[in-house]
Amino acid sequence: MAESAGLIVEADRLERTYESGTAPVAALAGLSLQVRRGEFLAVMGPSGSGKSTLLNILAGLERPTAGRVTVDGVDLSALDENGLARYRRGKVGIIFQAFNLLPRYRVIDNVAFPLLFAGIAVDERLRRAAAILDRLGMGPRAGHRPSQLSGGELQRTAIARALITDPALLLADEPTGNLDSANGEALLALMAELHARGQTIVLVTHDAAIAARAQRVVRMRDGRLVA
Amino acid sequence: MRTSDLLALALGNVGRARVRSTLTILGVAIGTALVVLLIALASGAEENVKRSIFSIGDLRLVTVQPFQPGSTGLTAVARTITDDNVAKFRLIPHVDGVYRQFDAPLGTLLEGGEDAPIRPQGIEPNAPVDRGDLLAGRHLAPNERAVAVVPGNLARLIAPTVDGAVGRKVTLRLGGAVKLGQTRIAGSGTPRDYVMTIVGVFDERNTSQTSVRIALDDAIVAAAENRGLAPEDMRRMTGYSGVSLETEDSKYVGDVVSSVQELGYSAFSLKQVIDQIDQGFGVFRGILAGIGGVALLVAAIGIANTMIMAVLERTREIGIMKAVGAAPQDIRLLFLAEAGVVGLFGGAIGLALGIGGGKVIEEIIRQLNPRTNPSNIFVVDPALALGSLGLALLVSLVAGFLPSRRAMRMSALSALRYE
Repeated sequence: MAESAGLIVEADRLERTYESGTAPVAALAGLSLQVRRGEFLAVMGPSGSGKSTLLNILAGLERPTAGRVTVDGVDLSALDENGLARYRRGKVGIIFQAFNLLPRYRVIDNVAFPLLFAGIAVDERLRRAAAILDRLGMGPRAGHRPSQLSGGELQRTAIARALITDPALLLADEPTGNLDSANGEALLALMAELHARGQTIVLVTHDAAIAARAQRVVRMRDGRLVA
Repeated sequence: MRTSDLLALALGNVGRARVRSTLTILGVAIGTALVVLLIALASGAEENVKRSIFSIGDLRLVTVQPFQPGSTGLTAVARTITDDNVAKFRLIPHVDGVYRQFDAPLGTLLEGGEDAPIRPQGIEPNAPVDRGDLLAGRHLAPNERAVAVVPGNLARLIAPTVDGAVGRKVTLRLGGAVKLGQTRIAGSGTPRDYVMTIVGVFDERNTSQTSVRIALDDAIVAAAENRGLAPEDMRRMTGYSGVSLETEDSKYVGDVVSSVQELGYSAFSLKQVIDQIDQGFGVFRGILAGIGGVALLVAAIGIANTMIMAVLERTREIGIMKAVGAAPQDIRLLFLAEAGVVGLFGGAIGLALGIGGGKVIEEIIRQLNPRTNPSNIFVVDPALALGSLGLALLVSLVAGFLPSRRAMRMSALSALRYE
């Protein structure tokens, strides 16, 4: 996918307004953004700038109030709930700050979950999950529960889960937020490596040092990109 | 999502909340057991009643009675059955055999100085009443006169054993006053004596102890002589006491009864009695099933409660599953499957409890009544077994419907933020 110079994300005048109490709050106020295929983009901004909302819209977890967004040729605003679910398990992988692993299931099962909902047989799921865990150095931990893992291991498990569907777009929301500096550094190295292999990544952070590791940085304030 | 994955996830989730699942399953089991027990009780009672009716007679028979069908049984008007009418009965479709019956005047059997009251029935050979119930001798044969088939109790008055009675000549005094001891109970005219040879003895335990079966013509002659008429006039004026129509199969009984009624006679059949019993028991069964159903309803509320709890507890899990690509329908199916697992387990345990409980109750009743050997009180047929399982499953799915819809509609994002 690295060869294609085309755009993978095209967001056009996105608006997202929340009805909270009396006055509506605009999290996104006419944001336009383009991401090239194979790019490693960092979206930086203070909290409340709307960067998480942007990420959630790109993840298909939230819909814009107005505007259009296309990811890998899919017009997200045209999708219903089922379409968004298909999009989430086919086109994007998401890494959350809070890891969001299922504590009851083994590491390998957590990683394989997106394939379960894609209707792939259990043998194939576990084979692919084991392969990706090996790649991330998590092979020995495959049979453990999330509660037995360190923060860095948890985040690598979350990355494995995000990558298992071989997504066109990898999204990361403050991925180092819950990690100590050593683990945070290791994670950033891993993301750089993924990028080097051609993975398109959009990372959201409020930390300029982290954003600096990306290929390109855009800054957000009050729901808009600033120069 | 594959069905195997769905079931594995559902089983895992039900197994995880072990205590809560066990209690919910127990609720379903008790409800199902109650439904099974109560319906089995109704089925058992119906079976017993039907069995005793089957023992009375043949379901293929329709008995024509010498009445016009009234709008109610109380307004029946007498109507003579003549040979012309009998000829019409023969033409009714699916009627295999027509057997006329003529009740001769009541009388007594003079034997051993003791007068036993008797009701002589004039019948045709092979009449349904005169079949397969012999203790000794044989049934009436065609064109036979001055012979009788008597009940066992009368035969024992005549000879020490029922076999000894066969071949003996006895005197029947018919007409005139019939006395039981010193009390006159029936009869008119002048009594006349008829000497008849006993050719058979029938088992009186299931029928009448006073019936004496004689040839149709003998009965008509006795009645005619009692009234001072010619036998032909007797046939024409009094008519037959009844006619038994034998149908090819019990399924034609309803049609034959209608045909008889169209000809202006009332008709009676055990088949129709059975049909009415079926209806009555249907209502009975429905009431009992309703009582059991209340227990199942309570169980359903338990399931709904458990599922709502599960949805709340697992809000974050639902959010994660949605975030990694679970479709709304997957989430709904998952919670419905969990409710269904609870329902099926509960139903299966309840079915076993119901069958086992019925057996225990039967055994206790047998122990309490050691001399009698009561037939089955609880009858669980395959339809009831499958039906109760299906009902438990259905009830649980209905109970799980709203909670599963709630889980399905949950926003992935707010579910992820839920603590």
